[in-house]
Amino acid sequence: MTSLTKMATFMDVNLVRYLCTCGKRLPPCRLYLCRHCLKLRCADCVQHEVDSPYCPNCLENMPASEAKLKKNRCSNCFDCPICGHTLMTRATSQMVPSSEDPSKSTPKKMYYMACSFCRWTTRDGGLADQSTSNGGWKDEENPEAKRINTLLESYRSIAQREKAEKERKKYVKRRSHAGFQDRYGLTSVAMKWKIQPAMSNLSVKETEKVPPAPELVSPVEDFDPLPSEIFSDIVQLDKVTYLSHRLNAPEFQPPATKDLRPVHKHLLVRRSLRCRECDHNLSKPDFNPLSIKFKIQLIALNHIPEIRIMAPATFSVNKETVVTFTLSNPSVYSTVVKLLPIEGDTDLDYMTAKVDLPKSDLVLALHDDTAVYDDGTKAQQEFKDDPRVVVFRRANKLGFAAKVTPFCKEGEVKVSFMMKHEFRNTAAAIQSEDKEPKLEWLEHRIFINLGRIQL
Amino acid sequence: MSLFEGLGYSNDKNVYIIDIGSAYTKCGLAGETGPRCIIPSTVTNSRTGKVTKIWDYRSTAELHENLKELLSVLIFRYLLMSPKDKRVVVVESLLCPTDFRECVARVLFRHFEVGCVLFAPGHVLSLLTLGSACGMVMDVGYNETLVVPVYEGIPIMLAWQSIPLGGKAIHSRIKDQLLDGGVVKTSQHQDIPVASVPDSLTEDILEDIKVRCCFVTEFSRGQAIQDVVLRGADASKMPTPTPAIDYPLDGSRIVTVSGKIREQSCEALFELDDDERSVAALLLDSLMQCPIDTRRELSENIVVVGGTAMLPGFFHRLKKELDTLAAMPRYKQTLGVKTFKFLKPPAKENYTAWLGGAMVGALETLPSKSLSRDAYLQRGRLPDWCSLDQETWIDDRTVQRR
Repeated sequence: MTSLTKMATFMDVNLVRYLCTCGKRLPPCRLYLCRHCLKLRCADCVQHEVDSPYCPNCLENMPASEAKLKKNRCSNCFDCPICGHTLMTRATSQMVPSSEDPSKSTPKKMYYMACSFCRWTTRDGGLADQSTSNGGWKDEENPEAKRINTLLESYRSIAQREKAEKERKKYVKRRSHAGFQDRYGLTSVAMKWKIQPAMSNLSVKETEKVPPAPELVSPVEDFDPLPSEIFSDIVQLDKVTYLSHRLNAPEFQPPATKDLRPVHKHLLVRRSLRCRECDHNLSKPDFNPLSIKFKIQLIALNHIPEIRIMAPATFSVNKETVVTFTLSNPSVYSTVVKLLPIEGDTDLDYMTAKVDLPKSDLVLALHDDTAVYDDGTKAQQEFKDDPRVVVFRRANKLGFAAKVTPFCKEGEVKVSFMMKHEFRNTAAAIQSEDKEPKLEWLEHRIFINLGRIQL
Repeated sequence: MSLFEGLGYSNDKNVYIIDIGSAYTKCGLAGETGPRCIIPSTVTNSRTGKVTKIWDYRSTAELHENLKELLSVLIFRYLLMSPKDKRVVVVESLLCPTDFRECVARVLFRHFEVGCVLFAPGHVLSLLTLGSACGMVMDVGYNETLVVPVYEGIPIMLAWQSIPLGGKAIHSRIKDQLLDGGVVKTSQHQDIPVASVPDSLTEDILEDIKVRCCFVTEFSRGQAIQDVVLRGADASKMPTPTPAIDYPLDGSRIVTVSGKIREQSCEALFELDDDERSVAALLLDSLMQCPIDTRRELSENIVVVGGTAMLPGFFHRLKKELDTLAAMPRYKQTLGVKTFKFLKPPAKENYTAWLGGAMVGALETLPSKSLSRDAYLQRGRLPDWCSLDQETWIDDRTVQRR
């Protein structure tokens, strides 16, 4: 392979794009193939799910419920409030009065945290050193938390009452004969008592507890004026926090750098992807954050033949140019590929060139991991290729030639065609316990950008 | 007291509270005392690195893609919970364009497949954080300032007032002043005018200058400045300027933010324009539209929310402005109130409305008040706050099934 082919894949994956079921055009490395619907899916048309939260620093993973309890933050790792770099624990010794003899002092190991990037330390924030290495750093508490929670409690009891009343209305409606009894004066005190225990669970007894109205705060009439220093003192800009620093701690938003506190490291998650149509997983990562493997990974690149532009060609208007494409087979079965023109030419706005595709079927050899070690002499004899169509063949790859005639005067040369290929559905085979996986024909529309017209 | 107590409130169901503001998006979970994150309302294109503001959209298709991106950042970077069948409270402004809310609903219901969504007006929610049902709510945001009086929990729609003054107006004032005579010191010890490098004054830099250098000056100084700048009084009347700040533009260039810029930029909010309107006058104008028997209660329950109100000195100045304006002839005769009192919510101004949302989201009655996915998919659109058939949208049966 020339290095240019590799460039075309690694540098610009967007030259060859496949049509996703949802209508987006994406390179095959960004597509998934659902084995159950046999349709292409992209990140945009699958359901994303949160799989396992973990700390990106200490790689500790935890169940989602625990992460929720910790507000999605790691309890052991901290970020620098200034630059966001991970803080490191530093040890220092401090002289403390000895426990045996108060007049003497003994050294004691104390710990603080420092940022190795911007040199911020917990001492800058006015935090005292800790005696244990793994922290004991106290988190600030929202000074208004009590007020908010009292208010919330009172709203909750009102809401409960509202809900209960709704429930009761339904209940009363159903017992329509209660009103009937009433008309004849049958309701007695005893009757009332009979009904009440059944409902007292649902409703707040009106006589008993009316939820207390939320306590009102006293209004403020006068606000403190600006401190007079603001008009005379020179501001030291490095003592004032940026807005992003403030918003890092939404409940405190300290305006001065001395009030910054270390930030608990935010957790990350592994996502799993699920097909919206059949609810099967398309991608499921390993639970353990140390492992980079996947339990399920149905990326399209591993299942459908991939087309690449082998080498760039030069184009000019209405002149036929032969372009070589490579086609590689990721499947462990030999695969037949048919290339078909777009029927009815409905999408002429994309195509700016006519393309003559190979009329015959292209047979791709199976993908074999050991093929790299073969000298390649054997495989080539198995196929009877037309040398005008198949330019070369190596392991699971082949190169085919196609004639491209641009019909636009300038701009990009773009072609589009259908690729029909065999697909062995291994998922279906497991279900039916057949030995031979079921053969399916899949069709994808391909969009290729071949480069610009030579002027 | 009740069967439900102790068995778990609805906040165990992890209700998302989302407030997409024009500058910053606040996001968190119901029942908490503060948002999990406050991030700029922008999306970054992963391929080109281009930053786009959510609200600068040319088509709803573009907005749809950007909202998907922003919400997936919120959900998968900050909230870390699968969105399927979740409950969501969206805090919105009463002036929110219909295509924007429709787009938010479409992304939430169709793309993220959430269970139900409650669109709640930010003004009413802000009052909720105070436990009061009456109040003049003033939202000093990025693009505009909006005043909505709320009486007994119902916004008085006749009396809402808005003016395009907010953070953005201050930014452009800073920019104008810097371009007009600002000086940049380069690494070669040269002084060049800012006007020769206008591109270096990005929105971020202007915001940072506003946050770190500027303040809302005192009433008397503000009046003196306005006399000189607007009404052509003698320049000697100008109060002694505050010290200048050397503001580093980048590693090598320093721009001088003069005392004038620091003090006068925020005057943009309080200068009376050609229609005699300013942020403070807006509040009085709104009050004038209210029924006279509600005015006393409203004027004694003023609530100010929005990030721009966090500028140092803002409240002090606003109060003084109100007192002075109310004594002016155009208000004195008809207004009928003299005292103005403010209520301080238990939150920073920039996330007060969010906190109200977090409270609503934590209540058991949330599902009965919000729009379920079934109801949305059935109708394909969102009820507006002004549509009268709203009650029938929230069908009891669909709620029961959830």
